[in-house]
Amino acid sequence: MDFAISSILFYVFAAMTLICACAVIFSRNPVTSAMNMALCFAGTAALLFGMGAQFLGIVQIIVYAGAILVLFLFVVMMLDIRTEEEDNSFSVFRSLVRMAPGALVAGVFGSMICIAALKLPGATEWNNPLCTACDSIGELAIGEQEPTQVQQSGKYGAALPKLNPAVAAKVLNPAISDEEAAAATSMPDVKLLGQRLFTDYNVAFVILSFALLAGTVGAVALSRKIRKD
Amino acid sequence: MSLIDTIWNWCVDLLHNDIWFYLITTVVKLVLMFAVILAFVVLSVWIERRVAGWIQDRPGPNRAGIPLQLFQRFGSKEKQPLKEWLHFFGIPESCWIAKLCTWLRLDREIPTFGLMQPCLDGGKLFLKQELTPSYVRKVYFTIAPMLVLGPPMVAAAVIPFASSVSTEFGDINMVVANIGIGPLWIFAISGLSVYGLTLAGWSSNSKYPFLGGLRATAQLISYEVAMGLSIIPLLMMFSTLNMQDIVQYQADNGWTLLPLWGEGLSWQRWALLLPLGLSFIIFVTCVFAEANRTPFDMAECETDLVGGYHSEYSSMKFASFFMGEYAAMVIGSALVVTLFLGGWSIGFGADAALHSVCSWLAVFCQFIMFLIKLVAFIFFFVWVRWTLPRFRWDQVMKLGWLVFLELAVANIFLTAAVLYFVK
Repeated sequence: MDFAISSILFYVFAAMTLICACAVIFSRNPVTSAMNMALCFAGTAALLFGMGAQFLGIVQIIVYAGAILVLFLFVVMMLDIRTEEEDNSFSVFRSLVRMAPGALVAGVFGSMICIAALKLPGATEWNNPLCTACDSIGELAIGEQEPTQVQQSGKYGAALPKLNPAVAAKVLNPAISDEEAAAATSMPDVKLLGQRLFTDYNVAFVILSFALLAGTVGAVALSRKIRKD
Repeated sequence: MSLIDTIWNWCVDLLHNDIWFYLITTVVKLVLMFAVILAFVVLSVWIERRVAGWIQDRPGPNRAGIPLQLFQRFGSKEKQPLKEWLHFFGIPESCWIAKLCTWLRLDREIPTFGLMQPCLDGGKLFLKQELTPSYVRKVYFTIAPMLVLGPPMVAAAVIPFASSVSTEFGDINMVVANIGIGPLWIFAISGLSVYGLTLAGWSSNSKYPFLGGLRATAQLISYEVAMGLSIIPLLMMFSTLNMQDIVQYQADNGWTLLPLWGEGLSWQRWALLLPLGLSFIIFVTCVFAEANRTPFDMAECETDLVGGYHSEYSSMKFASFFMGEYAAMVIGSALVVTLFLGGWSIGFGADAALHSVCSWLAVFCQFIMFLIKLVAFIFFFVWVRWTLPRFRWDQVMKLGWLVFLELAVANIFLTAAVLYFVK
């Protein structure tokens, strides 16, 4: 087959994610927003699946769609939605005050993402970014594995680059030979992620865990009623 | 003749194409898995009601046969076909065979032992009036039952129902999706059915369903934590997340809870039984809670919530909730069987022996074995439901957060200690 189904699915799910993300903001009903957000997370998970990072995709569903968003929904349902829906009085000052913090936060995050994306290999070569990105992955390519289809077609946005299991196996364990690495068929993404988290990013990981623990303890302390007797 | 040859050659050519081979085998496996799950939903309703009857010392639904009067109506002249048959074979009417036949109601109907009952109940629910109250939020009210029934069906994709077969066209792995994240996939997808329960409760716009929905959400989220933590000891032992590999390991080295062959005979492996047994208890309890079954059916407990989240539903929408609950039970049972009771493996080295004889025979026997284990565990599910009384709501929460969570975390450290010091 000449066309890659995963490329088509990428665009389908990317479109779904973006549309749902817009619907989160534009819908007046908080429950509809929350459900759209769930679809948005599902779309992101599908993108990760398409790239071969199954573990990240499933964690996205378990943690965000399965737990955090359900708690969101839980809280949203207990709010009185009608007051929110009927509050349609328009005022320039109030809408400005409402928008400014949102715009600020969105700007900060947007620029963060842009900077991160620009630092990726080949991102600044505007005529053909995907190709250069694949070249830099291709340097890691092992044995007779073709780097990617993109390099062959040499066209902007022809087929999306896929993660290479052989490269991943080599990264995971540099001691193994090229032949063994080339024999790898599935992404060892759980192992890769675990290795990275517990070696390179161990300090950040532990600090984050403590932050979460502190948050949990704080929530319990705040919500507990202290009896006077 | 040449036409048949042409068609045959065309099929062989088609199967020699990798993509078509993959597509065809996947579709066949998909249909088989769906058929098994749906058949088991029906079967587990029947098991539930028969076992309930048995435990409560009453017959349960044992009729629903095909009445012989039906044949009379369509032109058969014989009023008492049983007597005619007895005369034909020359058996006296007072003989024990005749009595047995009468006891089996063969003189009146073709018996099905009540197996037709769930099908007839389904038909009844189809024909009932669909009543949507005027005060509900219609969109969410409609999609909620779908969100309950859908996820368990999708979650079944990663459960292996037999080992693999190698044909001349390629290997067929008897699992729909052989992905490297097996149990996590099931947790993630079946965890999504909580949306259905929550939305059903909220969109009904009425107090009792709302309380039921909130309870369901809180309970499912609480027990998901302990459930996820409780299988970590197993994963430490298997050191893989692929379900097919997990079952293969158990086929070679003894089931998780029954290490009686292969490497399972070593005393180090037996030392591991303590943490593994603990995680079995935690996991099974959490599966009960996740499937919303008694003693954890807080979300629909009729003594304080009328019908819980599905109070306002009628006809097939109600039936979807019902089926979703049973499908979740079947998937939960299949997961327990796969992780703890050896999945499809027959045990005692029989898998490898059968494979050396004929791999198709081995796969068939393994499939049957898997179904037997599944039925046995569903029976256990039902047994617990009709034996234990329901918990109180605060007891359920306390059990989840204060007992099982701590136990599961401690169990991980215990397993690590055993693995480190003993092996």
